[in-house]
Amino acid sequence: MRFFDWIWHIRGRLPLQPGQTSEEAFDRLVPMFEEQGTSYQRSDGTLIFSKKDQAAQDQMSIFDGGVLAIEPGEPTPSLTYNLKSRALLACFIAPLIFIAFAQFSIGLSALYAGSESGDRTAERGAEDTAEEEEEEAEIRLHPIDRWLGAPEPKQPGEDEEDDATEARAASDVRGERADETDGDATDEDEEEDGPRHSPGPAYVFAAIFAAVYLGGRVLEDWLIKRRFRRRLFDEEPAPGSS
Amino acid sequence: MAGTRVGNRIIGAEAPVIIGWDNIGKVEGGPIKRVFFSYFQPVMLFALIGFFYYAPNDIAVASTAFMIGIGFRIVMLAFEWVSPRYKSWELTWKEFATDLFYVSLGYTILRMVESYIGSDVIIEAFLGAFNWDTFAWFTGLPLLVQAFLIVFIFDFVQYWMHRGMHEWYPLWLTHSVHHYITQFNINKGAVGNPIELILIGIGIGGFFDFVPRAFLLAGALRLGVGIYMHTNVRFNTPRWWRYIFNTTEHHSIHHSQDYQASRSNYSGIFIFIDRMFGTCVDGEAEILGMEGGRRMSIREQMLYPFTEGWKSTRNWWQRSRARAPAE
Repeated sequence: MRFFDWIWHIRGRLPLQPGQTSEEAFDRLVPMFEEQGTSYQRSDGTLIFSKKDQAAQDQMSIFDGGVLAIEPGEPTPSLTYNLKSRALLACFIAPLIFIAFAQFSIGLSALYAGSESGDRTAERGAEDTAEEEEEEAEIRLHPIDRWLGAPEPKQPGEDEEDDATEARAASDVRGERADETDGDATDEDEEEDGPRHSPGPAYVFAAIFAAVYLGGRVLEDWLIKRRFRRRLFDEEPAPGSS
Repeated sequence: MAGTRVGNRIIGAEAPVIIGWDNIGKVEGGPIKRVFFSYFQPVMLFALIGFFYYAPNDIAVASTAFMIGIGFRIVMLAFEWVSPRYKSWELTWKEFATDLFYVSLGYTILRMVESYIGSDVIIEAFLGAFNWDTFAWFTGLPLLVQAFLIVFIFDFVQYWMHRGMHEWYPLWLTHSVHHYITQFNINKGAVGNPIELILIGIGIGGFFDFVPRAFLLAGALRLGVGIYMHTNVRFNTPRWWRYIFNTTEHHSIHHSQDYQASRSNYSGIFIFIDRMFGTCVDGEAEILGMEGGRRMSIREQMLYPFTEGWKSTRNWWQRSRARAPAE
């Protein structure tokens, strides 16, 4: 377990100041654990804490529990800590989930292509005729737009990329996703014959989560050490500061 | 807390809410920073509209809009460090990773689901079933009018869907999850139960035809206004802007822990829709969330509508049985 529990555990050691006792050290650290959703027990040089539904404003919100202990040593005793984080574990697993989803979308697309290709071939002739008739309508620029100098619009069939369909496909959620257009499925032929669901976004997010995990594992290790040091050695810069 | 009377409601009796614009914080720092964060929003909006209005056809495409959207988000992330609105909204790694999960759901699983049951798919099937055509005459209007109509039609529907979510318990079950956020960050708009995210994305735009460039202009308008809704960036937003458009300030009131405050500012882009229907409250709130600011885990967010729905149905059933006369 110890070989791979570093994925969601953050461990460290911090030497105390000369003459600093374990009681004094914990007195300084305890305010960090007096947060909403946090409970802790303190006894004989050990502090055990656990967190549930911890607030986003909690400086230790990434951790769900852990043990802090003062161990004797030369020249001074040391604070050792072993903190566990489900968020780190979830982020470590996230790339695997999105890779699995990418594979699922590939499978679904293959299934879709297989079941519909026959039907489509038969229907395509009729559809093409209908589409041609439909697409004959010319798009004219309004005189105001012409006067303002807007470029003449592409006429139907002039380009394969159907921006209207793409832009319309963008889902608008809480006013923020209007920019989300699927840049992958722009080719009409690909949309009909190729994959209906591109695995691209899932692969991209798998890579992003891998990078976020690595960044978080290093960052949170550094941040918690800095917070403990500031608490223990009176380096706390300002109330509420990280 | 006494609260403040706004119309026939008392706002801020349960949690602190700043009513009106007089006591809202301003951008702090040197003159360059203050000028920058005073004019950034309108300059960016007009720049985006200008770009998609005049860009050649080869450049004014969906993929360009997509890349601009991503770039804009990265810029806003940087702004959250440079000009934060509240320290208590400061983005942590855990919040960033959690929000990113919801963003990734939107780009992958939800997109897949919407390709089968999204409103545009349903409308297309509906039109096909009755052999009806879309309203094509909008394509003859000036581009900016078309863009406005695209955004307004969607926002008007979203206003009522959103208001319905706050007024009708079954819909509230899906939407309440989003109200458990206690901070605003660039990606917080994506946080929510997937059912709600599909419902809030329902539009009737599929009934209308517009030219491709109008859709891109509409996207620019939505991006240039909507991106600020959930961000932790302090701007000195112009007076005319906050009269027309939804702002972080308006939306923070909507997310306030104060119940009456949360029943306001439902629109996504055009706050004048709220003004039309008497639900607009101007001001700002820092203390956000539900149940005293309890954080909801991803697991609970996914299950909450079902677990709470089951509990409510069971209680209702038990009460009904208790009231029924003995035979």
